[in-house]
Amino acid sequence: MTNDRYLIVSYFVCAALSIALGVLVYLYLRRPFAGVANAAPSRNFPSMLKRLLPCGFVLPALLGFVSVSYRSCDHSEYAEIIANRGYLVAKNQEQISSILFYIAVAVVFWNLVALLLLRVGKGGGDRTKSRQLNE
Amino acid sequence: MNLDLCAFLILLAISVAIPTILFRLLRPSLNDLLRHTLKLQAGVTFYLRSFLLVLYLAALSAAIGTSFDLKPGSRFMEYVWKDAEGVSSSLEKTLWFVAVYLVLITVLVATLKVKDDE
Repeated sequence: MTNDRYLIVSYFVCAALSIALGVLVYLYLRRPFAGVANAAPSRNFPSMLKRLLPCGFVLPALLGFVSVSYRSCDHSEYAEIIANRGYLVAKNQEQISSILFYIAVAVVFWNLVALLLLRVGKGGGDRTKSRQLNE
Repeated sequence: MNLDLCAFLILLAISVAIPTILFRLLRPSLNDLLRHTLKLQAGVTFYLRSFLLVLYLAALSAAIGTSFDLKPGSRFMEYVWKDAEGVSSSLEKTLWFVAVYLVLITVLVATLKVKDDE
């Protein structure tokens, strides 16, 4: 396989991988998040959050993918970029690394959203009730 | 097998082992803490799964980002140093995310406790 063809194939494989990883993380967290979102006081808000959740993982994954640029000081021309297979592999590794990092940041962000939902909604601890029962 | 690939696979294995050990160590106590803090079982599951994901994503993100561009004919220790470099960045990223998660859980426990006390 020529470097030119490798670049084309690997680029689109990484793009597909970013979407697939975003979807996988969404599927893994979808059910527990729905349970947390249902604790929100408003009726329409949980539904909006549940629809927003897939975008909240797929878009950061795509952002991580596109944030890596093939052009740099030493590789400004297309011919220079495709000249070295090692450089192309390193860029692919950088893309996957960036995808994983952005998904991790998205997970932390959704944790924060869940925290606010639990604070505002009815998802908090049951200790008051247990204290009353003890008394 | 190509030495570059072999070193990369060792780095990947170490980067999977680190979050696995961390999660196995912290899971029981984190589970208990979340069960005592949250009324919703879904909330407990969500935070546990998120913690697992964050650990693996952070560790693998750093490990995969390490490029093995060593010259052909490099000595054994050069591969070891490259692996050590990868493990270093993997540990660094993982610990940063654990720190952020710890702050998040502290805020969760603190705010829900305040709410209960009210």
